[in-house]
Amino acid sequence: MIRVQNLSKTYSRGGEPVVALREVSCEIASGEFVVIRGASGSGKSTLLNILGCLDTPTSGAYLLDGTDVASKSDSELSRIRSQKIGFVFQSFNLLPRTTARENVELPMIYAGGAPSRARATAALERVGLGHRVHHFATELSGGEQQRVAIARALINNPAVLLADEPTGNLDESAGATVMSLLQELNNEGHTIVLVTHDPAVAARAQRTLAIRDGVLSETEVAK
Amino acid sequence: MNLLPFLLSVGRTLSRNRIRAILMMAGVTIGIASLTILASIGESTRRETMKRFKNMLGTFDTVIIRPGAGKNRGMVTLANVDPTLRFEDASAMAQMPDVRQVAQIQDALDIDVKYRDRVETPAIFGVSSNWPELRGDEVVDGAFFSEDDNRSLARVAVLGAESRTRLFPGENPIGKTIRIGDVPFVVRGVMAARGAGPAGGSLDNLIFTPVTTASKRLFNRDFLTMMIVQLKDPNDSDAAVRRIEALLRERHHINGSALDDFNVTNPRAVMAQVTSLGSTLQKLLRVVAILATAIGGVVIMSVTLIAVSERKREIGVRRAVGASRLAVLLQFLLEAVLLAFAGGFAGAGIGIGGTQIVANWQHLPFLIQERAVALSLLLSIVIGLVFGIYPAWKAANTNPVDALRG
Repeated sequence: MIRVQNLSKTYSRGGEPVVALREVSCEIASGEFVVIRGASGSGKSTLLNILGCLDTPTSGAYLLDGTDVASKSDSELSRIRSQKIGFVFQSFNLLPRTTARENVELPMIYAGGAPSRARATAALERVGLGHRVHHFATELSGGEQQRVAIARALINNPAVLLADEPTGNLDESAGATVMSLLQELNNEGHTIVLVTHDPAVAARAQRTLAIRDGVLSETEVAK
Repeated sequence: MNLLPFLLSVGRTLSRNRIRAILMMAGVTIGIASLTILASIGESTRRETMKRFKNMLGTFDTVIIRPGAGKNRGMVTLANVDPTLRFEDASAMAQMPDVRQVAQIQDALDIDVKYRDRVETPAIFGVSSNWPELRGDEVVDGAFFSEDDNRSLARVAVLGAESRTRLFPGENPIGKTIRIGDVPFVVRGVMAARGAGPAGGSLDNLIFTPVTTASKRLFNRDFLTMMIVQLKDPNDSDAAVRRIEALLRERHHINGSALDDFNVTNPRAVMAQVTSLGSTLQKLLRVVAILATAIGGVVIMSVTLIAVSERKREIGVRRAVGASRLAVLLQFLLEAVLLAFAGGFAGAGIGIGGTQIVANWQHLPFLIQERAVALSLLLSIVIGLVFGIYPAWKAANTNPVDALRG
């Protein structure tokens, strides 16, 4: 499903080159639930952005579903993001002044079809928010916003769900709800890559990778 | 990407930021409203001016000749007119190859006209029987007098619309006898109303009699106060006017550099001058209104630029869920175009309403220049495109990773 080889990423920050990723290689199979652990600044978000085709590596290869995405154009990458990738962010990132359902419909618009209200509503019901369809982001709790974000990430049936600290802004019980939702989705066959610095969250994964100073290493299988 | 749902979502974004959207639109609205009003009022002013000049000058294939070198313009009294234009001048001019026919006129003010106990002082126009044809005047009641009446010094009169209502309120004047000076005349007909002249005064408070009757029985003078000459080819009026002037100079024995003792008014030339003056002013005002609309565009651009940095995170989210650079560009560009168009649409509406108000206030005919309105709407779209493209380009080139970091 996901295969990266010798992936490196170097930024230039204030004229100084900053190495965010060094020769990262790994494989993630379809249906896996992988957690990437790392402290802030370790390069874990950079890796996730590259896996999500939002960012491009400086060198190395990235094969998603068998296609090399390192050399794709902006519009091709956008299409890949739209069809194969679902993003879940730490700060939810729902559009302001937009209802839950309209947020969920958004990826359908960019995927090129007419947005289906029924599908958006069904996706919201799937994450337990059937009663919040017409609510604006500001009218929802943090946990609810994150579940809307998950519904949005899933609406185009992506190959992989990428979550960047999805529980980082949530209290314990809302975080637990979100984590068990992700667990359920994984049980239904969704591939999930989750980035966190929280060991408790990491403990739920089948497989944990650790990243430190841009270097990725396989750690012990948790279960 | 399917455009319709995309457009709907753009419209939704705007409608959820209503106050900001209305403020952004305001500049374009004001510009387009003034453009609409200027174009429409400009045109109705032009037409109204034309109409008033036509009311005064008659049909446009005629030239008007008055005695005196540039003085004695307008209405004359018995006392102040130069006796230089003769009946014989009119007959000679009628023989010219340029000329179809000539109307002879003797007019005077300050003569009392009486009917029973009513006394009025309309202008008295002694005219030849071809007057209605040359002036484009119409008889609404009865008939105009004939050339036979003219030859036989018949004491018949035709009333202008206003003198009819003044002398015969609620009464049929046909066949009644009025006294002009102390001479009795039988009313033969009534003319249609001509309306106002260029200065706004009425052109209907007058009474017509045959010119020979006026000459011999009323005014006792054998010169004309005006001739109206109908040309065969109105497009050649400048050359015809020169030949008419030459004929009159010869008949009046004016040689070399001596001044004319008459003057010729060419309605076409006057009209051309008046309308060109009007249209220069109108063009200037139009440029000002287009500038105002462009300033509206600058407002849209600056507010959109601020919005691009305010909505950085939104741009990142849109990119993450599958928006390409082009889609983000279109998002912001369409927002600007929709705003400008909505502003233009509102402006056109306000402009049409404003035109109605100005038309009522200035007593002008209410007419809308559809072409100007359509062009204004097109202009507003162009303004949206021109001033939206830079902010949209900036939005499209926002790095999604940075945008999502906040």
